Amino acid sequence: MLNSIHALVRPGRDLRVDFIRGLALWFIFIDHTPGNLLGQMTLRNVAFCDATEGFVLLAGYAAGIAYGRLMEREGWAHAAARVAGRVGTLYVAHIFLFVVFTAQVGYSAAALDQAAYLDELQLDPFGQEPYRAMLEALLLRYQPAFLDILPLYIVVLAMFAVALPLINRPGWLLGGSIALYAAARLLDWEPPSWTGSAWFFNPLAWQLLFAIGVVMGRTDPQALARRFPWSRWLAALAVLLLLAAAVTLNLTWHGPARGWEPPEWLASWLAGVDKTGLHPVRVASVLVMAWLVAHWLPAGARWLNGPPAAPFVLMGQQGLAVFCAGIFLSFLGRIALELASGGWVQAAVNLAGLAALVAVAVVSAWYGGEGKRRRAPALPATPQAATP
Amino acid sequence: MARLRDTLRPALVLAALLLPPGLARAEPAGCSAPPEAMEAAPLPGSVAALSRGALRVMVVGSASTHGGGTSGPAATWPERLDKVLGAHVAPATVQVSVFGGRGTTAADHARIIAEEAPRLRPHLIIWQLGTVEAARGLSPDEMVEAVQDSVARLRASRGERTDVVLVDPQFSRFFRANADVETYRDRLRLAAAASGAQLFSRWTIMRHWAETERLDLERAPRASRTAVADQLHDCLARALTQFILQGTLRGARDRAGGERP
Repeated sequence: MLNSIHALVRPGRDLRVDFIRGLALWFIFIDHTPGNLLGQMTLRNVAFCDATEGFVLLAGYAAGIAYGRLMEREGWAHAAARVAGRVGTLYVAHIFLFVVFTAQVGYSAAALDQAAYLDELQLDPFGQEPYRAMLEALLLRYQPAFLDILPLYIVVLAMFAVALPLINRPGWLLGGSIALYAAARLLDWEPPSWTGSAWFFNPLAWQLLFAIGVVMGRTDPQALARRFPWSRWLAALAVLLLLAAAVTLNLTWHGPARGWEPPEWLASWLAGVDKTGLHPVRVASVLVMAWLVAHWLPAGARWLNGPPAAPFVLMGQQGLAVFCAGIFLSFLGRIALELASGGWVQAAVNLAGLAALVAVAVVSAWYGGEGKRRRAPALPATPQAATP
Repeated sequence: MARLRDTLRPALVLAALLLPPGLARAEPAGCSAPPEAMEAAPLPGSVAALSRGALRVMVVGSASTHGGGTSGPAATWPERLDKVLGAHVAPATVQVSVFGGRGTTAADHARIIAEEAPRLRPHLIIWQLGTVEAARGLSPDEMVEAVQDSVARLRASRGERTDVVLVDPQFSRFFRANADVETYRDRLRLAAAASGAQLFSRWTIMRHWAETERLDLERAPRASRTAVADQLHDCLARALTQFILQGTLRGARDRAGGERP
């Protein structure tokens, strides 16, 4: 079976990116099913960043490659129109998931019949003002819990459509992106939200990771390796820093319950590492990891090209379909974990969840979701085809 | 009266020091909370107040402090705390005042503390928060800031005389499934550690009770729900009492240790 999955993998791309993206999508599914025991083993438990950072960075990387080529061949208007079409698809997907979410909340409220127990839960905005909530959801100003990544992606991709002309001037692109990031953080620029003061992910800040991904995707890998040369000492330092971060985070979270009080200055600094505005430490953390992985995982690694890695590679290649399916499946997983508890539900949710994600990737690749549309016109621009 | 207090003070401190932990935990079976949720750091303000004979407790929070499905105000955990803690520390007295209400946020609580604390001069503030923030998806960063600013202001005005204990949301499978509770709990842990406050994890304790099938309000039959809610609040008050007593024991040991030449 792995061999038939492997046959669907599109060759010629950097399979490492697809593999890591697939892994990030799996982590996002796990992190979106609260109560899942595997949730204690994902990246966010040991690092400042989590799968979201990886997902946005690699989304930028893939977009840089795909739309960059399109832009060179067909011009800005054409490429921007294609990006806009993608934005539209994401928007529809988001609204669909929003409807599923409200249905799931309604179902589990009825199933658990939790009347007066947690009074505050009746205060959820949809329960109080459903008509207004519908409108605000369409305006992306209302994002229920766990439905915050797609709105971020939608806005960042829309900004990318405008910034496409800068794609061959990485300095300008990065400069503009950093300036916007700094302004968003220092001047508190953020899109309005209905329920609170801000979006869970501020797109004006998070665009930075996407832009870095775009520039990385557009740069020749050799040049990139020369720009950030490998050094054993630097790598050792990076690993030490990542380990120190893991230890510090866990001591601060779990220390007080075991009789160890972290120093206040340390906890105070950690409490200031925000996710909403993409704290610089989170950027550094994901970039350092990317650098280490890029070196330790050679592009031509045999296992990466073999059947065992194929499910994750394929999931990464069919990113959008798998992401949406993952969010949808996480709703089902939550209901299952809500109604029953114990090892077998955990195993069932995770095995069925992963199997379904792979199945979605297989169907999408076979039917021609993300690959085929792009494959035919993209071929002439690939280096292999252009050399002879 | 003052003389009586003065005579009692050494006896009280001594009693607190010598009280075997097992005695402090003399509670009905079923209430035993997991030990990792009962680890309290010293509570110097409460120790000082108890050694003087009167502990003023200020409870601030959202709906569960005022009802939470119990049979009435007398059955809520703050009222039960008043009784249970009072019985444990007698002859010292405990006075619990409750503020806040349904749907109030950490920012509301911070305002209440700023207004009421100078008048009330509490020795212990029990601040229950996070549920409304998570249910409505309010900014976790602002919740953390509210805690840090508020505790810093208390430190500036009252120094070591006021202890702060944060209380996180009630465990619920429904809540866990439909709100990003873990994010808010992580941030509450950091906010407590960053401001020198402590965290009493109601979530961990109630999850333990639910998973060991001792006390599971969410799965209780509708007819017995009020009774189970009463029992839950009583048990929460007992666990909190144990937590506070442990903190005062530590505080007393620190004081005794500090006074030694």
